[in-house]
Amino acid sequence: MASETDRKDLLEMFRSMVRIRLFEQAAYDMYMDGELPGFMHISIGQEATSVGACSALGEGDYLTSTHRGHGDTIARGLSIESAMAELMGKADGACKAKGGSMHVADFGLGILGANGIVGAGMPIAIGSALSSNYLDRKTVTLCFFGDGAMTTGPTHEAMNMATLWNLPVVFVRQNNLYAESTPVREYQGIPDILKWAESYGMPATRVDGNDVQAVHDTVLTAVERARSGGGPSFVESETYRWFGHNIGDPGKGRPPEEVTAWKARDPLVICRSVLLDDGADEASLSAIESEEQEKLAKAIELGRAAALPKLEDALTDVYGDQTLAAAALGEVRR
Amino acid sequence: MTEILYREAIQQALREEMLRDDTVFLIGEDLRDPWGGTYKATAGLSPDFEDKRVLNTPIAEDTIIGAALGAALSGTRPVAELMYIDFVMRAMDAVVNQVAKVRYMSGGQSDVPLVIRTQGGGGRSSAAQHGNSLEAWLCHVPGLLIAMPSTPADAKGLLKTAIRLNDPVIFIEHKLLYATKGEVPDDEYTIPFGVADIKREGTDVTIVAASRALLFSLEAAEELAREGISAEVIDPRTLVPLDEETIFESVDKTNRLVVVAEGAERCGWTAEIAARVQEARFYSLDAPIQRVAALNVPLPFQPDMERYVLPSVKDIVAAAKRTLDA
Repeated sequence: MASETDRKDLLEMFRSMVRIRLFEQAAYDMYMDGELPGFMHISIGQEATSVGACSALGEGDYLTSTHRGHGDTIARGLSIESAMAELMGKADGACKAKGGSMHVADFGLGILGANGIVGAGMPIAIGSALSSNYLDRKTVTLCFFGDGAMTTGPTHEAMNMATLWNLPVVFVRQNNLYAESTPVREYQGIPDILKWAESYGMPATRVDGNDVQAVHDTVLTAVERARSGGGPSFVESETYRWFGHNIGDPGKGRPPEEVTAWKARDPLVICRSVLLDDGADEASLSAIESEEQEKLAKAIELGRAAALPKLEDALTDVYGDQTLAAAALGEVRR
Repeated sequence: MTEILYREAIQQALREEMLRDDTVFLIGEDLRDPWGGTYKATAGLSPDFEDKRVLNTPIAEDTIIGAALGAALSGTRPVAELMYIDFVMRAMDAVVNQVAKVRYMSGGQSDVPLVIRTQGGGGRSSAAQHGNSLEAWLCHVPGLLIAMPSTPADAKGLLKTAIRLNDPVIFIEHKLLYATKGEVPDDEYTIPFGVADIKREGTDVTIVAASRALLFSLEAAEELAREGISAEVIDPRTLVPLDEETIFESVDKTNRLVVVAEGAERCGWTAEIAARVQEARFYSLDAPIQRVAALNVPLPFQPDMERYVLPSVKDIVAAAKRTLDA
C-alpha cells in the first residue's frame, strides 16, 4: 500500500465510515417515520472527510463541528448509543436530550460540540488551541466547517488570530459545494478558496474529500505541523452530501447528473476497493458491515427502551453553581 | 480600609486573581501597557506578568468572545474585555448562542469559567454607539450571570468572585465610575453574587438602582431627607441572580417603590423589577411603582440633550414624591 496508512488503520477507517453511513441512514428513516423530533442534517456522502480527518487526531486533541455533525462526532468516537438516544430525546442521550442533533458533544473526547450557528465553531476552535499553547499541552484542535461558513466574519477573524498567535489548529473545510441551496460560485467572491487561506499566512491544501486515505494523510501532515509548533493549516476537502440541506429538502436545486456523478464516487466504495486491491477479503469487509449493523440495531433498541427526561430536568444544567442557579431561575410556577 | 479609585479596584482584583491562579488570563483589545485599556482598567498588569497573561487582540469582538469560550472549555480561565458594552452587539452570537448555552446544550458536560468585563453608560457625550446601557438585554439571556457594581469595594469583591465562579459572568462597569473613590478592605475579601446591599436605610420609600444610577439615587435620598422624606436605597449589585428578598422586605416596610436604571425605559430592567414586586408584594404597595429610566430614544450627543434623556437626581426625587402623594 503506497500510503502512510497501513491496512489495519484503513480497515478501522472503513469500519468508522460504515458506522456513520448506517447511523445516518437509520436517522433519516426514523425521522421520516416520525420517530425523531426537530430537524436534522444528514452527512451521507461526506464520511471520508469526517473519518479521514478525525483519524489524524490523538488523545487529548479537540474537535469542533457543525450543524451537520453526526458523522464528525461519531468519527471522533462519540458512541452511537448516546448519539442515537440524543436524537430520540432520551434522558441518557449524549446531552441529556437538551442539545439534539445540532449540539451533540462529548467533552470527555474533546468534542466541544456540533454547532447550530454556521461559522461559530471557528472562534471556539482557536480558543481551545490558545489554551493548548497557554498550558503547553501540545494538543491540536481540528475545526470542521462547511463551505458556507467560509464567508462569515468570524471565520476570517479566527484565521487571522490563528496565524497571529501561531495556534495549533487545523481548519478543515467540508466543501459539499452548496451553502444550504446556494452553489459556491454564487456566494464566493474568488473561485479559488485556497488563495483566501494562503493570504492568512497558512499552508492550504485541497484534497479529494471522498478518499479517506488522502484526507487522512493531508490532515495528518497539518496536525503534526500544528503539534510541533508550526501553527495553523487549512485543508479544503471536496465532497458531497447525497441528501438535501436538511431532511425535508429534496435537494432539487442540484443537477441530477451532478448527484449521480458524486454518488458514483461513494467514499465507502472507494475505500472498499482499495482494501480489496490490497488483499483484504470480501468476507472480512462484509463482516465489518454486519457487525456495525448489529451494533446500530442494539443502539436503536436501547434508545427506544430508554427513559424520557423528567420535565423538571429542563431546569438543570443552566448554571453549575447550584445556589446561584436556584436564585437565577427564580420561583418555578408550574 | 483604604480609599482607592473604582479603576484601581478593578486592577487590584485582576492582579490578585492572576497571582492566585496561573490559568487566569486577560484577553481583549488594547489591554497592554502603555495603553492599559481604554479606561485603564488593566493598566500596570502587562509589565508584571508573562506576556501570555495579558493578550491584546485584533478588533474582532465575536471572535474574542468565541475564542475566550473555547479557552474556558479547555482548561484556562479567561477574563475577556469588551471595550464598550455597545460592542457586545458585534459579539452577540458568541455571548448568547455559545457562551450562555454551551453548558445547557451539552447536558452539563462542562464548566464555563469565563468573565466578560465591559463598561457602559452615558453622561459623557459618547453618543448613540458608545453610551448605551444594555444590561437588560443580557439579563434576558438564561445562562449568564450579571454583575453591575456601583462602588470600588463592590467592584473588587464581585470581580474576584466572578473570576472564581465556573459560570459565565458579564461584569458591567460604568465609564463614569472609574474615577470615583471609595473605601476598600485591606484584607483579602470577596462578595457573593445574589446579595443586595442596602446603601442607605430609610422608612418612607424604597429606591432600587445599580451602577451609576445608584449614586444618583443616594444623592436623591439626601435631597429627600432635607424635605423630611426617608428613602431606603438598595443596590442589588448583581442583576442575575437578583436578591429580590431584600427588595421585598424593604417594600414591606416602606410600601413604596422607585426603580432607577440608565437604559431605555421600554422593556427595561426597571420593568422587570416592577413586575416582580407587584406579583409578590401587590398588597404591600400604597402607591403605583415608579420607574425612572432613559427616554425611549437613541442617546444624543449634545451634553444638555443627553442629560435631558438620561435619568437624573431630580427625576428620582420627583418619582419618590409621586409615590408619597398617591
